[in-house]
Amino acid sequence: MSDVAKPAPLPQWSFLSQNAAQLFYRLLAAFLICLVLSVLSESFLSLGNILNVLRQASLTFFIASGLTLVVLTAGLDLSVGANVALSACLAGTVIHQTGSPVLGILTGLAAGGTVGLMNGVMVTAMRIPSFIATYGMLWVLNGVTYWYMAGETIHGFPAGFRQIGSGYFLGLPIPVYLLLVFLAIGSFFAQRTTWGQEIYAIGANPVAARLSGIPVNRRLLLVYTVSGTMAGLASIIFLSRLNSAEADIGESLTLPAIAAVLIGGTSLFGGVGTIFGTFVGSLILTLVLNGMNLLSINANWQPLVTGIIVIIAVWLDMKTRRPTA
Amino acid sequence: MDHRKSCYLALSLLIASATTQARADGETIAVFTKNQTNPFFQTVRVGADNMAKALNAKILHYIPTKPDSIPEQLSQIEDVVVKKPSAIVFTPVDYKAMVPGVEKINDAKIPVVNITDRSAGGKFVSFIGADDYSLGLETGRFLLKTLGGKGNVVIIEGVKGSLTNVDRVRGFNDALKENPGAKLLASQPGNYQRLQALQVMENLMQSNAQIDGVLAANDAMAVGAIEALDGANRKALVIGINGTKEAIDAIKSGKLLASGDYNGFAQGCLGTMMAIRSLRGQPVIAEIVLKPTVITKDNYQPFDVSLEQRTCPSFEDASKLGAK
Repeated sequence: MSDVAKPAPLPQWSFLSQNAAQLFYRLLAAFLICLVLSVLSESFLSLGNILNVLRQASLTFFIASGLTLVVLTAGLDLSVGANVALSACLAGTVIHQTGSPVLGILTGLAAGGTVGLMNGVMVTAMRIPSFIATYGMLWVLNGVTYWYMAGETIHGFPAGFRQIGSGYFLGLPIPVYLLLVFLAIGSFFAQRTTWGQEIYAIGANPVAARLSGIPVNRRLLLVYTVSGTMAGLASIIFLSRLNSAEADIGESLTLPAIAAVLIGGTSLFGGVGTIFGTFVGSLILTLVLNGMNLLSINANWQPLVTGIIVIIAVWLDMKTRRPTA
Repeated sequence: MDHRKSCYLALSLLIASATTQARADGETIAVFTKNQTNPFFQTVRVGADNMAKALNAKILHYIPTKPDSIPEQLSQIEDVVVKKPSAIVFTPVDYKAMVPGVEKINDAKIPVVNITDRSAGGKFVSFIGADDYSLGLETGRFLLKTLGGKGNVVIIEGVKGSLTNVDRVRGFNDALKENPGAKLLASQPGNYQRLQALQVMENLMQSNAQIDGVLAANDAMAVGAIEALDGANRKALVIGINGTKEAIDAIKSGKLLASGDYNGFAQGCLGTMMAIRSLRGQPVIAEIVLKPTVITKDNYQPFDVSLEQRTCPSFEDASKLGAK
């Protein structure tokens, strides 16, 4: 919250043009990875594999898109992965108990949203820094989920429900439709609505935002709740794709989601970034893993390769970024 | 006055009952497991509970809240050394890093039994474990035998650098070497995670038109791979390791070919049994490495009951289960 260290807030119009230039380079990075992979592996450019990559990227994107809004306000939500785990386990239980996928989906979304709202309350009313508040929440959620599941796995869901995660409509996987819908809604909300622009303003300079009459706390409550609800949505996709859930599914989801947001060009200092960038970030992370599997790169080297590509992607981005100050 | 008197009375009754109860309940056994998330350790804990109940002892579970946390298990050891339970049944979260912890227990003169992962140092009453290498080898052999010794096979590995994964994958590879007709298409990491295994399998199906067999280093990954195959309307024989309930259900429904039983339940039972026997001055077995059981549709029935209802092996059984 140190306003001194921050550069003066940029005028609104410059966000868009600056973001547009950044997006171009980020898409270029994704394109370069695709180019290299299509030369190295003949199966990479098949329609099947492209849909495969998009479907895999969708889960990361759902978590990361809500998170983007939080990061835009210069906050962080470390509880997203743990939230996915708890929401998935609760939704799974409800489906098993009631036999109703609809109730299950509502439970997952409501659980995710409630956790997000609690994060928001901690950040606004209790004034706990978001990093600490959501880090604490991560432990609370893990504790509740471990206790609730007691090492068990919940599995076996109705075929209709399974369609959400693994079904197709007109040749496209259903998660890909959801990805496009939420990409459109998210981008429109952030770029074209007053509330969206207020979120950018809060991240750029919270004091100026408050002084200019933006209801900062209400907007913060909103972004944390949205982040939680998107984690709830991801939990439903997870559950219906994998047909099961256990307590430890969340841990491996949090860092890739944060990485997707940052690779996508959203600044941890707030005020700069786009939902579309986060989509490209999710795509880059997925492409790297997909490529390594297709090329059968030795498992020992995979973390190293992932790390190097993530660092190069962000470095290229910073080199090509127009100076802001 | 009356109040105070009754208070004292209650207090002394409480102390009396506590002490007599301690005697009636017998020994207190502290059981250390690695985490709350892996179903395997739940089977270990239930095994320990069942055995303690049968032998009239009391179990205290010590589980790191952060899975497999070395500092947390160390501080739990410091805790337990002060509380002094009668004996300890111990799974190191890391077989090397926990050696100083084991030495602390040794210094405190608390008898300790090592289960699951063999500690690199320290003094133990007994070691009870399973052999990951032969688990990998036997389940791998079973898959390849079912495939007729030929076909295209992929391996989905667990967490790189974990002891269990190294040995299981080595077992898979040796089973493949025995079957020169089978071809290993890829060996890729799924980090013991369901989602990662599903995605690895989806990706591998893109680059390989024909996959006949999948060797997964645990059950969650095996089931993840099956979901990927189902999603693509493709068929392959899949095996996993651990013998979890989910795997048993999948074997029953014909989706999973087999799962190697890591015998967590028996490990919990026998570890607790050896700890109590050593306290009671009865003979113990210094080392039991449980032989792997490959659970298939022909022999799953004994595994298809809830953990609490399973019965612990007796001491006589234990000596036959793979004593060295």
